[in-house]
Amino acid sequence: MKALLTIEDIKLIFIRCSEIMNKNRQALLDLDAACGDGDLGLTMTKGFAAAAAAARNYSGNDAGKLFLAAGMAIAGSAPSTMGTLIASGFMRVGKEAAGREAMATVDCAAMMISFLDGIMARGKSKPGDKTIIDSLMPAAETLRQGENKPLAEAWADALEAAEQGVERARGMRAVHGRAAYYGDASIGKDDAGARVGMLIVKAFAEYVA
Amino acid sequence: MRKLINAPESMVDEMLQGIYAAHPDQVRYVSGDLRCLVSAHVKKGKVGIATGGGSGHLPLFLGYVGEGMLDGCCVGGVFQSPSAMQMLEVTKAIDSGAGVLYIYGNYGGDVMNFDMAAEMAGAEGIRVEQVLGAEDVASAPKGNEGKRRGVAGIFYMYKIAGALAAEMVALEQVKSVAQTVAANVRTMGVALSACTIPEAGKPTFEIEEEKMEIGMGIHGEPGVRKGPLVAADRIVDEMLESILPDLPYQRGDEVSVLINGLGATPKEELYVFFRRVAESLSKSGIHIYHPYIGEFATSMEMAGASISLLKLDAELKRLLDSPANTPFFVQR
Repeated sequence: MKALLTIEDIKLIFIRCSEIMNKNRQALLDLDAACGDGDLGLTMTKGFAAAAAAARNYSGNDAGKLFLAAGMAIAGSAPSTMGTLIASGFMRVGKEAAGREAMATVDCAAMMISFLDGIMARGKSKPGDKTIIDSLMPAAETLRQGENKPLAEAWADALEAAEQGVERARGMRAVHGRAAYYGDASIGKDDAGARVGMLIVKAFAEYVA
Repeated sequence: MRKLINAPESMVDEMLQGIYAAHPDQVRYVSGDLRCLVSAHVKKGKVGIATGGGSGHLPLFLGYVGEGMLDGCCVGGVFQSPSAMQMLEVTKAIDSGAGVLYIYGNYGGDVMNFDMAAEMAGAEGIRVEQVLGAEDVASAPKGNEGKRRGVAGIFYMYKIAGALAAEMVALEQVKSVAQTVAANVRTMGVALSACTIPEAGKPTFEIEEEKMEIGMGIHGEPGVRKGPLVAADRIVDEMLESILPDLPYQRGDEVSVLINGLGATPKEELYVFFRRVAESLSKSGIHIYHPYIGEFATSMEMAGASISLLKLDAELKRLLDSPANTPFFVQR
């Protein structure tokens, strides 16, 4: 069982994440068509394919630079709202993780918090707004509470928290983006952003399992 | 889908190739990216003005790059924001030391990417300021103006800020006049039919035959009221009932009026619209100074129109009247 994520591991996690987005392409397209502009499946597969390629091509030994490269790749290839939010999140992680060569559970918790901070600063949104934050924040908090646990256990808990976050987001009323135009009609519908957040957590959880 | 295109996914870049072929003396692109469009006449020491947004709205956004208006524009896919990196490239290309002003419409993806570009440009030592177009009264109620979408009224921001920048004033002044325009312009639209994103192949929404949607956005965002299509005069009256009290525009005010076709509505109908606007404003004691009637911000093959009003003062009138020469807008 892994105790540390190395640079090589993080690269493989980005590749895993790209595979997961490909698998969920149609589901995301359908979800987004219900209250967005219907292109989330396209932008997420494009964005994470670019992130995986950037990760694969990264030859240094600095986790911060690796996250930054992945974030920039997403920003350049998927400039949709969600793409830009996720890019901003990874770019923030890039700043915070600068110089690190490996990540233990405690560093993963710090990474998730930076990721969340980057997204919240860019999107000016808060928990309860029916967004990606509603799956990422419970995952980040779970990781922080479990920062002394082994990677596999901590990430499995985080994934469970993210999945519950997706469930809770369903009952929320959208206040951001196109979904907000639907107002009360958005209550009861799955939020595509929250699902994307959960899928990112899933990539880590599956990899370290 | 009935469009004069080749492959749907190549439409935007082929459109751009057509633009560069048609206007080689006015626009060019930087960083080897067709979607990073800049004016061929970037003037040393002048504040640069950049805009950007999704394709599918010509003349918006790139059509106003040229003398007396904008210096650069980032072009996205149909209804998609360009990326922050593209915005950064355009910013670098048009900054000549006096800083750059971003003027763009209030849409989530555009706001985030321009914010990110502004941060990156700041890190490279370029001063960047931003002013958003957010004047569609149908998109959010009064009191919640920050949530409003930007539509055709952004033309006035380009025209007036561009005219002032051409006088070689400082970034703060150009920003300030853009803010004044943003604060004094209001728009409302009506849609009669839908539009089709080429890559999607079918309309994203539908408006039934004999129906209209008042207040619909230029990407088909839901409006304020769906109903049977009625006479043009009644539609104008309903739109003015929302626009006039919003600022409010009052007796004695001087306004410029912009009647904008959404893509599939003939100019004849726009003049029928304008006739009623002129009649109605005259009754309210509001004077029309300089009307603009035509296509300024379209939504591909959507049928319909929008009405924008800009309240003027002496300075705004002077800047509105100054000459401009861009691929889609010429005024002498």
